[in-house]
Amino acid sequence: MTFILESGYAFWNPLIWIIVFIIVMVIVYFFRRRGQKGYKKDTDQAQIFLCGEEVPEAEQRHIRVGNIYWGFFETLKEYYDQILRLHTGIINDYILWFVAVTAISVIVLLIAGLAK
Amino acid sequence: MAALITHSPILIIAIPLAAAFLTIPIGMASRKARNALVIGSLTFVVFLVFALARDISINGIHLYTLGATSPDLTIPTGFMVPVRIILEVDGMSIFMGIIWSIVSLAAATYSLSHISSETGQTRFYTLLLLMVTGGFGMMFTGDLFNFFVFIEIASISGAALISFRTRFADTQEGGFKYIVVSAIASLMILFAIGLLYAQYNLLNIGALAQAIQYTTLDKIALALLLIALAMKTGMVPLHLWFPDSYSVAPASITGMLVITSHACMYAAFRICFTLYGGVINAPVVGWIIIIFGLLTMFVGVTMAVFQKDVMRFMSYHAVSQLGYMWVGVGVGLAVLGNTELLATYGRDAMSGGIFHILNHAMYKPLLFFTGGALFHYTGTRDLTKMGGLAHKMKWTTILYIIGTLSISGIPPLNGFSSKILIYESVYQFHPILTITGIIVSILTLASFTKAFHSAFMGAELPEYKEVKEVPKSMIIGMVILAAGIVFVTLFPSLVVDWAIHPAADALIDQGAYINAVTGAIP
Repeated sequence: MTFILESGYAFWNPLIWIIVFIIVMVIVYFFRRRGQKGYKKDTDQAQIFLCGEEVPEAEQRHIRVGNIYWGFFETLKEYYDQILRLHTGIINDYILWFVAVTAISVIVLLIAGLAK
Repeated sequence: MAALITHSPILIIAIPLAAAFLTIPIGMASRKARNALVIGSLTFVVFLVFALARDISINGIHLYTLGATSPDLTIPTGFMVPVRIILEVDGMSIFMGIIWSIVSLAAATYSLSHISSETGQTRFYTLLLLMVTGGFGMMFTGDLFNFFVFIEIASISGAALISFRTRFADTQEGGFKYIVVSAIASLMILFAIGLLYAQYNLLNIGALAQAIQYTTLDKIALALLLIALAMKTGMVPLHLWFPDSYSVAPASITGMLVITSHACMYAAFRICFTLYGGVINAPVVGWIIIIFGLLTMFVGVTMAVFQKDVMRFMSYHAVSQLGYMWVGVGVGLAVLGNTELLATYGRDAMSGGIFHILNHAMYKPLLFFTGGALFHYTGTRDLTKMGGLAHKMKWTTILYIIGTLSISGIPPLNGFSSKILIYESVYQFHPILTITGIIVSILTLASFTKAFHSAFMGAELPEYKEVKEVPKSMIIGMVILAAGIVFVTLFPSLVVDWAIHPAADALIDQGAYINAVTGAIP
């Protein structure tokens, strides 16, 4: 069967997943169809209701990328301080890293060769 | 047709090379004719690559000796070793060739509109076709010095293409960094080739693999080759140049640069498995690759989630995803000497890593193309300035969602198929590899959700009232890649059986590669 991918321990069949997904979608659509029929698209019903407060302009209420995952970055602040220090943007540093990693790899291979 | 297939390895390299030089006179006469030449030649190359792939699946390794009376005459009369340039295309080489041909065609199609307002378009297509030539050469050559020549062609044209939009200052910096890093890597590769040539008087990979002794000089050459190629792929901590260069190139070129990174990764695998396969200290080199692979996955994704520039964000994700491939194939290398472990999980881990190359080659250029589409009309790469673009760019939004679900390994998309192969197999080697992989996948989804919300969701912003969907050729370029994603999603087993397992077996079976060259005496 070309649909079944054997991983050696289990199998993966995208067709089963897609069939289940379609069934779920049909069920969701069924419940949606039973919803409120009186909705009118281009009237005040479609406007944002903010407990009577004035709704800000589109550009003011859009959550920008800098505000997302603030807590994640605060928690990992120390990690980011360290990792950002490496990203200097200076090409000399990039080449220094290359020299260092090459030197370490040569030493490891030579020592491993002696041990062998 | 038989003659076409016989000569296909050299034709696949020569056609884009000839087309590269033809674009100049034809481009001066007619813009439409030039575009037709570019798309026509790349379409014909796709046909040749698939014809060659079919031939290899039936007849095995395809050899092509340049300058010989017969293409399979690898060792001339009176010689004991191969002295001519030989193209040796096996399951792994053609697997890379298929990826390169499709992505090149998609990128060229996308470029028709994407760079239509730029000056010097003919030069752009000349360089693009030269990069295609370099890429195919890297994948098909069976000769180390020839590999150096082709990596130089790909690197120089790549640097020029990164700097192509000269009106932006950062493109010049990106191009400069790319050429410096590429020149250092190429120099080290040339030095390593010199070390091997000085000892064995050989440049052919198959013949060298038979003669190599794993002396101290060989170990130094191995480290130089491996780390230089790792730097070209953007392996952490040698990835620092990667976002600086990839984020400023035209999006179509960034998509192609990702595949040149894959080509360098392929070369690293070829060096470890084919050239050094019989003598290498596989567990040590395997662990070195695995450790750097894990670092690459984690540092790449944590840096990506922090980015506000859409192209830098995607560049860091490219770094992170390359880590999966290193880990998968690294596990295969670590157990290369143990037949039982190789059969139990090593081959599956390698297959997972190689399968991820294919998947990454489709969803990553697609995501870069969507990033380019955003830049095309908004004129900015800054996610903080974007919002509500889904209202106007419906096709781009749908294609971005496909790419996002795929890169995050969400079922049933193709990214899930390769990741599940990697997770289940590398778990047998060490559970921490799978745990890291899953954490990285979660962070990938989280960061793409963040970028999706920032760029596409929310109310329509007044500054983007005039924005419209990108031109058709850009959509077609993206749809070609999305169609590939859908195909692999639906038929993972077909792809694994036809392309992935033969590629993994080609790496494992060092003897077949050597015998194809040294045993083919007429």
